[in-house]
Amino acid sequence: MSEEYQPPDGYRGPLLQRLVEAKIRTWSVIQVNKTDGSHYEGVLLPRSIHTSDDYLSIKVDTGYNIGIQLPDDATIKEVGYNAGSYQIPEKIVEKTPGLPNVTLLGTGGTVASRLDYRTGAVLPAFTPSELFSAVPELIDICNLTPKTLYQILSENFCPEYWIKTAEAVAKEIEGGADGVIIGHGTDTMSYSGSALSYMFQDLPVPVVIVGSQRSSDRPSSDGPINMMNATTLAAYGDLAEVVVVMHGTTSDNYDLIHRATRVRKMHSARRDTFRTVSDTPLGQIKDKEIKYFKDDIRRRSPKEDFHLNTKMDERVTMLYFYPGMEPDVMHAVLDKGYHGIVMIGTGLGHVGKPMYEALDRAQEEEIPVVIVVQPMFGFSHLRVYETGRDMLARGVIEGKNMLPEAALPKLMWALGQTQDVKEVEKIMHTNLAGEITNREPYSGFPIFQGGVPNFYDNYKNIDRLKK
Amino acid sequence: MIDPKNIDYRKLGFKAGLEIHHQLKSSRKLFCHCPAELSADLQKNPDFTFHRRFRAVMGEMGDFDPGMLVEVEKGYLVIYHANDAHVCTYEMDDTPPFWLDMESVDTGYKLASLFNCESPAEEVVINRKQYLDGSITTGFQRTMIIARDGHVQLASGRKITITNILIEEDSARKIKVEDRGRTVYYNLDRLGVPLTEIITDHNEIDTPELLIEAIKMIALNLRLTGLGRRGIGVGRQDVNISIDGGDRAELKGVQDLSLMTKFCAHEVCRQHTLIDIQSQLASSNLKKEEFEHNYIDITHLFNDLGEGESAFAVRLPGFEEILKTEVQPGKDFGYEIFEKCNLITGVQYDEMFHSGEMSPGSIRMMNRSDDLFINKGQDGEIRAILKLEDGDGYVAARGSEKPVLHTLKKTVERCKQAFDGVPQETRRVLPNGNNEFLRVIHGKGRLYPDTDTPPAPYPMEKFQAIKEKGWTRPLDLLEKYQEKGLKLPMLELLIRDEKIPMFQKLVDEVKVPTSLAIRLTVEIPRWLRRKGYDPEIISQFSIISIAGNIMSGKLQAKHLRPMMKEICIAPKENQSSIVTKWVDQNNKKDEPGDVKDQWPDDGRCCK
Repeated sequence: MSEEYQPPDGYRGPLLQRLVEAKIRTWSVIQVNKTDGSHYEGVLLPRSIHTSDDYLSIKVDTGYNIGIQLPDDATIKEVGYNAGSYQIPEKIVEKTPGLPNVTLLGTGGTVASRLDYRTGAVLPAFTPSELFSAVPELIDICNLTPKTLYQILSENFCPEYWIKTAEAVAKEIEGGADGVIIGHGTDTMSYSGSALSYMFQDLPVPVVIVGSQRSSDRPSSDGPINMMNATTLAAYGDLAEVVVVMHGTTSDNYDLIHRATRVRKMHSARRDTFRTVSDTPLGQIKDKEIKYFKDDIRRRSPKEDFHLNTKMDERVTMLYFYPGMEPDVMHAVLDKGYHGIVMIGTGLGHVGKPMYEALDRAQEEEIPVVIVVQPMFGFSHLRVYETGRDMLARGVIEGKNMLPEAALPKLMWALGQTQDVKEVEKIMHTNLAGEITNREPYSGFPIFQGGVPNFYDNYKNIDRLKK
Repeated sequence: MIDPKNIDYRKLGFKAGLEIHHQLKSSRKLFCHCPAELSADLQKNPDFTFHRRFRAVMGEMGDFDPGMLVEVEKGYLVIYHANDAHVCTYEMDDTPPFWLDMESVDTGYKLASLFNCESPAEEVVINRKQYLDGSITTGFQRTMIIARDGHVQLASGRKITITNILIEEDSARKIKVEDRGRTVYYNLDRLGVPLTEIITDHNEIDTPELLIEAIKMIALNLRLTGLGRRGIGVGRQDVNISIDGGDRAELKGVQDLSLMTKFCAHEVCRQHTLIDIQSQLASSNLKKEEFEHNYIDITHLFNDLGEGESAFAVRLPGFEEILKTEVQPGKDFGYEIFEKCNLITGVQYDEMFHSGEMSPGSIRMMNRSDDLFINKGQDGEIRAILKLEDGDGYVAARGSEKPVLHTLKKTVERCKQAFDGVPQETRRVLPNGNNEFLRVIHGKGRLYPDTDTPPAPYPMEKFQAIKEKGWTRPLDLLEKYQEKGLKLPMLELLIRDEKIPMFQKLVDEVKVPTSLAIRLTVEIPRWLRRKGYDPEIISQFSIISIAGNIMSGKLQAKHLRPMMKEICIAPKENQSSIVTKWVDQNNKKDEPGDVKDQWPDDGRCCK
């Protein structure tokens, strides 16, 4: 008790008052006795903010946690102290001559996360080197240098972070890295990956974005295998693009390599959530073996020509059209001074007639409006129906088969290069990094691509569907 | 080894505790909306399969659980079979948990009141308990304490402390193992079914008989109150056993109560022997440090090894006799080590050998001499290569190099453990009454609060109301009907067959003697079932009518079986006419006898 007394974390109101009076700390071993004969002993744990004020969280002798109340007539006293420290020992690894050098840049997300007492949910908290300690297999693959860029969940990314990430990657490449891995939360991977794709000019090495759908504090985490595969690709892949490497199936079997500008998170929770849309994945990695599915892959190249172009105009927004959408929504955007809009239209890319007046205003004010499609798969075609032609007449820019996640950072990047709408349109219509394809293969559609073997056969066997 | 048939349990300080797992009645699984029921056929072709591997992660207090690290050493590949009707993406660990099934939580508090728990959890916290054997796709079981400090009253007068009542999700069903146990198959239908775990004090039960009594009484409580699910495989128990100087061994899979005493006896033998070995080692000059992980390649001694196979041996100073020591009937200490190695590394028994096995009296020679892969000459050469001195032993293994070296590593570690007596282990019981290593006992380090689901406050007024409503427990019934001749074994049958309401109706309302009520509700229905008839067809009304006719002397005991058999095969609407027919026939032939002679009320009829 020599250190200065600190009130226990996360407790509030009258309960905190009681704890302070009894000089109870976080990690105190406490005894509580109530008048009804119930009695409890355990370690007082920090309390999460979004839970009720009325309960103590304690860890009892069996290691389980329970919550208990502390009525006025109950007694509480400290009978010991038992602080936990959750930290994986950091591992310092010597470089092996001859092995490729790869840098792992950690940005947070579930690939590196753990329990947060404040909220009781998961928080990105592992440093990349802690993660490295948890996946020792990485040592044999390459000389991996882990560095922490940020510790944020991916929904908290913003264009400013894309730029900083691009600069950090460039620094590693110029410093001699044979490949760079970015540990990233899965939610906004495709936005970051697309933004980086436009910023890197003449990229010489693989830039691999990786994450996990089950946090690394779980024995079933997909993170370690994704990390091993990402490392293999970054070290040995003959590829010089920004790609996403994640589970190809729900099994711990192989990972798919997706071009960052063509990939989409298709399920909120599954491990095989990432799918290449309107194209086939670039390849797969299984047991340290890389197999390519396509030929039109940018290969490794000399580093001399590599440079960055990170000019971005962040004043770009995205609107999702719905039946009955009023033009005032778009007017509000224009009133706020946005410089560009990505509009996600129905079917081939349509918006309703009432929106025309807002499109007229955007055209007049030279604000580019880029149309992408809600069906996700396929191209925007504004010449098929009358509506589309009406829209084209109002100056909208067809987004071809760009995904919304690829179109938004691209419009920011385009506006960073020029303010001339015609020039912006030219950039938006140019395929910079695979975000536009001029043909769509048959295998670009099935969402179970690379999925479960014989899935369709099995599906036929489900009794319920036979009836 | 002491004689397993003649053990003075109290003198040896036998202590046992129970972990009783029983599925709860519920309409859905605990954390998703799949039906809480099993598919009819475990082996049925699955609608889909997938596979996973698991890793150890740290517990909340920042420790790796030693048990978990041993689990990872096994390096399982886990293959899951699933069908669409019973499995959703939750069981696949591909969707976070849905809000927990509050019906099951309510059942938990009912159990807490049934078993007199003093200290309820006022806010239920969902914990993760790591399991890396693949039986749970997440690698952890979601589990919560509902209440603590309860007890169950036994008929013999003893009161057994119940330390904890938990609600948790059941695990997946194992289908098979392949590839020397490295590949494990599970069916996912059972995963997530609500389960209670009822834990008794590990140091309280002091004889196997008391253990059996406690298991039976807890099961009877679950059945009588209808809180537990009924059916095959809905309940299972683990037994924790120790003796003075020993340590906790958790015996898994103790289903057959008729073998319980044998299981206890063989575990007591094992612990007694291990303690004996410990004291031998303490009084010798041997030190743990003398055991070196120095594995010597003896591949050149064999010409029958397969492609890529090798053989290695390790010296075990002073262990020649110890390896030969019988620890359980038909099993020596060397074999005890081999069981553990086999499970962890996959190396088979006939690929392992210890120095004591060449002698004619050894257990291997007596039971499985054709298993030996080493002959006398090779034994001599190995002894020379390892420079064995008097009293030294060795272990040799053959096969692929990696598992073989792993086997010798585990062997050396296990021999060092012998200096500390009985290791804390979870063990699997075998049909012959013995048991074998399954895993290092799981500690607190494998617990972690679940980050997917916030804690759920449970209103204590609700718990209070449950307590005030009270329960009719098996012993209440026994007490009530004891004077009328009801005995515990009969009560067990009545509860197991769910005949308590009918029994009470017959005894309380129709005023039939206990023995007749048992005959009508349990004995004859069971006889009919054995004969292939369905006694549940016989309506309550018919049973009461039969009972009434017996009481008034219009029917006799000898009529019951044929008449009830006839009712079973007749159309339902004819039941009363069949009774009338038998009454008429009886009245023509026989004089009515005195009912009291046939059905004494003092229980003499009830075996």
